[in-house]
Amino acid sequence: MNETIKADKVMDLKGLPCPMPVVKVSKGIKEVAVGQVIEAISTDPGALTDFPAWAKTSGNQILKTEQSGKEIHFFIKRLS
Amino acid sequence: MEKRIREELLALFKSKLSRPMEMYLETCARCGICTEACHAYASMPLPKYTPAYRAEVVRRIYKNYFRWQGKTVPKAGECKKLDETIIDELKEAAYSCTGCRRCMVYCPFGIDTQQIMSIAKLLLVGAHAEPELLSLLADVSISKGESIDSFKEGFLEGVKNLEEEVVEKWRHEAGRTPIPTEVVGAEILYVALAGAHSIIPAAAIFNAAKENWTLSFFEAVNFGAFVGDPTKTKIIMDRIINEAKRLKVKEVCICECGTAFRVMSQLSGSRPFKVSSITEVHSRYLKEGRIRLDKSKFNVPITYHDPCQIARNGGVIDEPRYILSHLTDNFIEMSQDPKYNWCCGGGGGLVALGEETLDFRMKSAKVKAEQISKTGAAILATACENCHTQLSNLNEHYKLGMNVQFLSSLVSDALAK
Repeated sequence: MNETIKADKVMDLKGLPCPMPVVKVSKGIKEVAVGQVIEAISTDPGALTDFPAWAKTSGNQILKTEQSGKEIHFFIKRLS
Repeated sequence: MEKRIREELLALFKSKLSRPMEMYLETCARCGICTEACHAYASMPLPKYTPAYRAEVVRRIYKNYFRWQGKTVPKAGECKKLDETIIDELKEAAYSCTGCRRCMVYCPFGIDTQQIMSIAKLLLVGAHAEPELLSLLADVSISKGESIDSFKEGFLEGVKNLEEEVVEKWRHEAGRTPIPTEVVGAEILYVALAGAHSIIPAAAIFNAAKENWTLSFFEAVNFGAFVGDPTKTKIIMDRIINEAKRLKVKEVCICECGTAFRVMSQLSGSRPFKVSSITEVHSRYLKEGRIRLDKSKFNVPITYHDPCQIARNGGVIDEPRYILSHLTDNFIEMSQDPKYNWCCGGGGGLVALGEETLDFRMKSAKVKAEQISKTGAAILATACENCHTQLSNLNEHYKLGMNVQFLSSLVSDALAK
């Protein structure tokens, strides 16, 4: 099912040095309300392992991961 | 502070009291030689930024609980109780020190302030007063290690998307995968960072050297070490050790990340593989004639910042210079002796804390910015992600007008076909 998710905040994390994608998404998620969604865009393959691990650790939920060419789009819902 | 908490913290303190640590805590003669060795003090001359002052914060707790002074004359013996009031002092001391160990090479007794600060960091972890973000990053690395099988597929797809750029840098050869993974019996397990910039140039160089290599599923950096938690440091390190053992590799090559290299090369104990920095591997390829570089690629002066954890603390000093001698005839040394090079000002977890520490990092590294500026170089190369970020921040803040580059990127851009 190709569900469209509307993001409340979009974060461009492309090409950032280590560990800024996780640092920025950790701060970004606190800037939306519980239940809202951020879309984080990265071009780093490591994000595909880092973000799910971060979501698990921080208690948030990755609703969907889309790879579009070199870009990876994470839709993350703030749970707590 | 509750008695139980204090006792737990003192148990943590005691766990750090090795013979060398006791020597560091017992020996300071207050000669003051370390004072101006610290980039933070040299840039902002406040007593709290001297290595001896930082060490004294920990030393006074030591005297109070582990030496005769505390039991007999605590007031006269410069002792300090371990309570809530000292937590802020420990934090200021630990997180204004980048662990660069420049003070140690100047100290006539070789007192290792970085090691003393490891006690401060551990006490902060025990008191749940450490920077929350560093612990989160360490926990993310641990979680990844526990669930790697469920993340592998996505990672492999992401890596596949980089192959085209690798081949652009170095031609694809029949029968070879541009970015190999899960190769049992490979000569080298390359441990990168999350970013594509840490994978693409390295892959091109491995392929140019016809290396039998394989890419790790894990990131090299160890946030457990940054936050000063030995248990987490070991768990994060063991993910890579276990992967290397499973794949039966002969060598683990750590990407351009100073802390990752120091932790893996100095804290991993006895292991059935060799540990190298990527700079050592590239230097070796040049010596063995496995890669050649086109010197005409860069026609501007190049200088090199020695990352503290790779050079002063890791001994990799000649190798980057050997590489640079193949890249340019216009190399400019930054300091007379690389062992005494100024720290970039971003180590010890400060860069990972991002904008929270930016103001301190810029002010405390003023001497570094001046040192870089004096070289007159156009390209500022380094071999550490942390340093690269900090140097890029300094470049912008002090308007240095440099082109900050990873050494491995220069190598991959200059590969001679």
